[in-house]
Amino acid sequence: MKPHHHLDTATLIGYSAGALPTAFAVVVSAHLSICRTCREQLRDADLIGGQLMKQQEGAPLSASTRDSLLARLRATETAPARMPTTAHPAHDPDLLPAALHPYFGDRYSTLRWRMIGPGVHHIRAHDVADSHLMLLRTAPGRSVPMHSHGGNELTMILQGSYDDSLGHFAPGDVADLDVDVEHQPITAPGVPCICLAATDAPLRFSGWLARTLQPLFKL
Amino acid sequence: MVMMPPDPATHKVTPLGVVRRVSTSASQAADDARYWAEQMACVAARRDMDGFMRIYDHFGPRLQRYLLGLNVPAAQAEELVQEAMLRLWRRADLFDPARASLSTWLFRVARNLYIDSMRGEPRWLPIQEGLDWLDHEHAEEGGSSAESFTDHAGLSQAIDALPAAQARLIRMSYFEAKSHSEIAQELGMPLGSVKSTLRRAFAKLQLGLGRTP
Repeated sequence: MKPHHHLDTATLIGYSAGALPTAFAVVVSAHLSICRTCREQLRDADLIGGQLMKQQEGAPLSASTRDSLLARLRATETAPARMPTTAHPAHDPDLLPAALHPYFGDRYSTLRWRMIGPGVHHIRAHDVADSHLMLLRTAPGRSVPMHSHGGNELTMILQGSYDDSLGHFAPGDVADLDVDVEHQPITAPGVPCICLAATDAPLRFSGWLARTLQPLFKL
Repeated sequence: MVMMPPDPATHKVTPLGVVRRVSTSASQAADDARYWAEQMACVAARRDMDGFMRIYDHFGPRLQRYLLGLNVPAAQAEELVQEAMLRLWRRADLFDPARASLSTWLFRVARNLYIDSMRGEPRWLPIQEGLDWLDHEHAEEGGSSAESFTDHAGLSQAIDALPAAQARLIRMSYFEAKSHSEIAQELGMPLGSVKSTLRRAFAKLQLGLGRTP
């Protein structure tokens, strides 16, 4: 999986700075796990953060912190580091990206989809306080109801694909869009398109649903 | 039995430990990065506690400043600084100066601990660790663009040379962990301008790192 649509550098700065709302950070982590290009960009963002941190004037630490650190060093066993299991997920097509497991579970086959319109299902993550994270499954050949209307939105394609004025979006690709970008994705024929979407504007569901269904009924 | 920690005010081994408020010379920044990489190599090779505490005396207060800026209460920030340093001690054998400078490494660990403890994002730390390993293996294959000490020299100059507006947004992002929307609101700027300003700043800093656009 080699993505063609990448994260905005402004988004990567936010991730590096720990400043992204949770839902956006989850989408970024999922994309990073399959995109070396963005990981290299993130490395530069982290380098910048490290350099800025180093250039700052320090704040005093208490003497007791120093003493307690020394005591803990002496008590700390050191062993060669081991690779965590998360580093190498099995190549199982049913597995969701690791970053999504806390929110949606591990497997596509156990997702509990809720229908929100003809050909459109979704699942909302409930443990996200400061933003909105959801999975959205759209049947082939339909328009994807994915608009936060005025806020940021960040979307990653997990399965299937769609096309819009910005191009073809396939698994692994992210659509990291500015607020003012108007787009209307249409899913490709064949398989349903599953997207992971983060938005910061609170989605007023009824209004959003109404706006969603209107174009769908015309199809 | 107990090695006395060097007095941070008088010990001679940190000629570059002084705070640099004004622009630094390029060679100084490179020497600085090299100096700390050498200290870390000693820690990795010999579990050198003195060297390790020199690293703590230099970087600990800077990490503390960073965490206070993110609104972490002082006592909790000191806990996180300790935790970051302990991780460095335990993972010393993994530290590779060709991949990340000590300051970058500590910045990332402190940020990850901050997100884990303050934002309570489940499994943030293991997920970050998984991402780290992806590139660790990549680096061992020899395919990675190794970070050199001169990178830091160029970066430090590029930071000093940023136009005021760009520098301000970069600082608000990194030191106050403000989201783009929050920055936009606070400065009365359109969200799109916040992002495009950050993009321009990032491109300049990457040039300083010697990346080709």
